[in-house]
Amino acid sequence: MERRDFFKKAAVVAGAAAVGSSTAEANLTHQPIDNRKVSTVAFPEKRPLIMYSDRPPLLETPREVFTSALTPNDQFFVRWHMPDIPTHIDPDTFTISVNGLVEKELKISLNELKTKFEQVEVTAVLQCGGNSRSAFTPIAGGIQWGSGAMGCATWKGVRLSDILDHAGLKRDAEWIGFNGSEKAAYYETPNFVRELHLDELDDHVILAYEMNGEDLPYLNGYPLRLIIPGTYSDSWVKMLSNITVTNKYKHLFFMDVAYRVPDNKCECETPQKKAPKTKPIRKMNVKSVIGYPTNGAKINNKSAVVVRGVAWDDGHGIQDVMISLDGGKTWDKALLDDGKLGRYAYRTFRYTFKPLEFGEKTIMAKAINKIGQEQPFDKEIKWNHGGYKYNGIDKVTVEVV
Amino acid sequence: MKKMILITVLLASSLFAQVKENIEVPYVAFPIKMGKGFDAVQANCLMCHSFGYIINQGRQSRQFWRGKVDKMIKHFKAPIDEKSAKIVTDYLFEHYGNNKEK
Repeated sequence: MERRDFFKKAAVVAGAAAVGSSTAEANLTHQPIDNRKVSTVAFPEKRPLIMYSDRPPLLETPREVFTSALTPNDQFFVRWHMPDIPTHIDPDTFTISVNGLVEKELKISLNELKTKFEQVEVTAVLQCGGNSRSAFTPIAGGIQWGSGAMGCATWKGVRLSDILDHAGLKRDAEWIGFNGSEKAAYYETPNFVRELHLDELDDHVILAYEMNGEDLPYLNGYPLRLIIPGTYSDSWVKMLSNITVTNKYKHLFFMDVAYRVPDNKCECETPQKKAPKTKPIRKMNVKSVIGYPTNGAKINNKSAVVVRGVAWDDGHGIQDVMISLDGGKTWDKALLDDGKLGRYAYRTFRYTFKPLEFGEKTIMAKAINKIGQEQPFDKEIKWNHGGYKYNGIDKVTVEVV
Repeated sequence: MKKMILITVLLASSLFAQVKENIEVPYVAFPIKMGKGFDAVQANCLMCHSFGYIINQGRQSRQFWRGKVDKMIKHFKAPIDEKSAKIVTDYLFEHYGNNKEK
């Protein structure tokens, strides 16, 4: 995709991130829509972000935020499913219920969570499965996110396993259902409930009440949310209010219909021939995003530029980030941070170069993880109907002046 | 001793949300297109989601939009009758369509 095309696609109408009219010609996936402007509207506890909807709130983090390992709370993306989210929660009376196949049903207050259980922290990337969906051609259904339906934070809370141990799982316990407090307009609409199999839950899964040293912002799930490091955020239930243990999988819309990819090796299909079987999106694939410079930025000739960005995967860890300045013909290693935030966090990278020619210059970044998986070129990404799991090599084009 | 210190720190930290009163999510007027069938869209879609949710799906085929309307009826239990479903689909395809039936 040519630069001017995606500028054209980034058309902004009256503060909304409306999609432009150009449709890509061939069935080749391309760079996600970029350079959408932040809205003039600031949502509660947030700075103005790229805005797609007010009800439910859908907000995207602009690209330039992705130069540091932790995403500030007030710039962290927002994605809800239902129109009615509680606008007031009293932390003194709030409780989380644990019930179903347990020895002892529990109602735990926030204060008890913070004082009666071991407090743990994990730094982990939270990314929507549909992040970068606007890259897919033909246009996949769903919000046409750019690259910013994601963020990374240090989450503090208690281990889910400690809570379940405290309740005592009965022998036939197998599935854990998680329920948030968001409500639909109609009584019959299914609640946003997610189920996880006991095998999917390890000690890294926590119930978090704190994000980057502050209470969770309302729009990120105050007062408590589920954190499942390494997986896409569809199961990171916000405003978590209830945990039910069962022995049988319940069929749920948000499990059986939404957030699924073709169950085949390439996880791909065509609009004409959809895959007969699907599977949950689950683990994140290896990906990187350049935070600086951004598309269309002007940089000075013969003046050193430090390219910065973030890279992550599902917890195997990032081995290298490679940079190309010649359209992907040759690649050079970027410098990585010390990785002290752990294997589920963003790994920041930086790469210094000195432009020696005037005009357009394209910078590409490709992450490679510790088991050798690497990002494909954008046009090599195969289509799926939900536009999930895009992880094409990132690309920004600047003007050397 | 170490445990004591930890507990003191915890008690000292805030147990309150940063926002103590009701939060208010702002209302946004999206640039939705006017035209035949708009009344049906307003009556049947706006109950659950903003116009932003519609216009940020990208240009799509008639089949896609009909599928979305059906999803709202089947999975989200929106009480939309067949006549309205048709009108809404026609509107969506006319204003946010890609000129392809499928």
